[in-house]
Amino acid sequence: MPTRVTVDVKGEDTHEIDLERLAASGNSGEPISYADLLAEVDLSPHEVSVLVDGRPVPEDQPVEADHVTVLRLIKGG
Amino acid sequence: MTDLRLDATQLERYSRHVIMDEVGPEGQRRLLEGSVLVVGAGGLGSPVIQYLAAAGVGRLGIVDDDVVERSNLQRQIVHGDDDVGRPKVESAADYVRALNPDVDVRAHETRVTSETIDDLVGGTDGERTDGYDVVVDASDNFATRYLCNDYCTLSGIALSHGAIYRFEGQVTTFPNDGDGPCYRCIFPEAPEPGTVPDCATTGVLGVLPGTVGCIQATEVVKYLLGAGELLEGRLLMYDAMGLSFETVDVRRNPDCPVCGDDPEIESIHDVGYEGSCTVSSD
Repeated sequence: MPTRVTVDVKGEDTHEIDLERLAASGNSGEPISYADLLAEVDLSPHEVSVLVDGRPVPEDQPVEADHVTVLRLIKGG
Repeated sequence: MTDLRLDATQLERYSRHVIMDEVGPEGQRRLLEGSVLVVGAGGLGSPVIQYLAAAGVGRLGIVDDDVVERSNLQRQIVHGDDDVGRPKVESAADYVRALNPDVDVRAHETRVTSETIDDLVGGTDGERTDGYDVVVDASDNFATRYLCNDYCTLSGIALSHGAIYRFEGQVTTFPNDGDGPCYRCIFPEAPEPGTVPDCATTGVLGVLPGTVGCIQATEVVKYLLGAGELLEGRLLMYDAMGLSFETVDVRRNPDCPVCGDDPEIESIHDVGYEGSCTVSSD
């Protein structure tokens, strides 16, 4: 697991997240997941897709990439 | 630049196309022989319909089950004040007929559902004898968006995707003729209803769908011409407030439920499109 992850929320901000700090602040003992990254930047898995190398990753999987791209699902037409 | 298949009026009308090497009379003929179904005659659909009609796309289908409301007119520029209360497809079709008599415009006042999409896109409608080359997703809901993606992916029909939210837009093109991704490769499932806001609740900058829809129309014209580089494998993000564009590379997902290596979805009838657009349990 990387120690820092860049979360690039397209159309919004880019965040640097310290996974060791995030793990220390939690009490579940579970590995940090992509859903945890989303929670850290105030996004719900319902409204975005998390991509690693151009492909989506399941939000409940442990973080293995040091850079993720977050795309917002938008529906307007 | 004379081409006997373009008459004198057409040569004049399309002269700024024909004069370019990248289009020429052969390219214009391709446009005139092309067929495009625009799903949604709203914010995105309006500029798509206008520019495809002006370009001389020979057969233009328009699907929408809605009527024009006054609150639409700030951005849905194919409709006018006198059209309030009329079916959007009628208003849009009248616009096309007035703009370009070369275009055979077909108005379908219905909703795109798993029961109607094959008739609409595939060409089994009694009115037509063949289907469409391209579908333009200019819809405003996830059920239609995922249905169009699944149908076009499974059928190998090119799909232009566009979506807007407040000041931002997303556009990409799925030619569906090779190893490129589909919409579900990026967004495998639709969100639960009500979890993603729409334009009615958050608002939308009126000119935003104009920009995004014009990009969709550009992609369709290029696709029909067989010219240029399409937005295949690239999701274009547009931010109107920063006036910035960014592309995100996207790849076919081997785990994609519709075009992956072991797809769950082999037919649109496998999917319940009114929820999260996942495989039905029944």
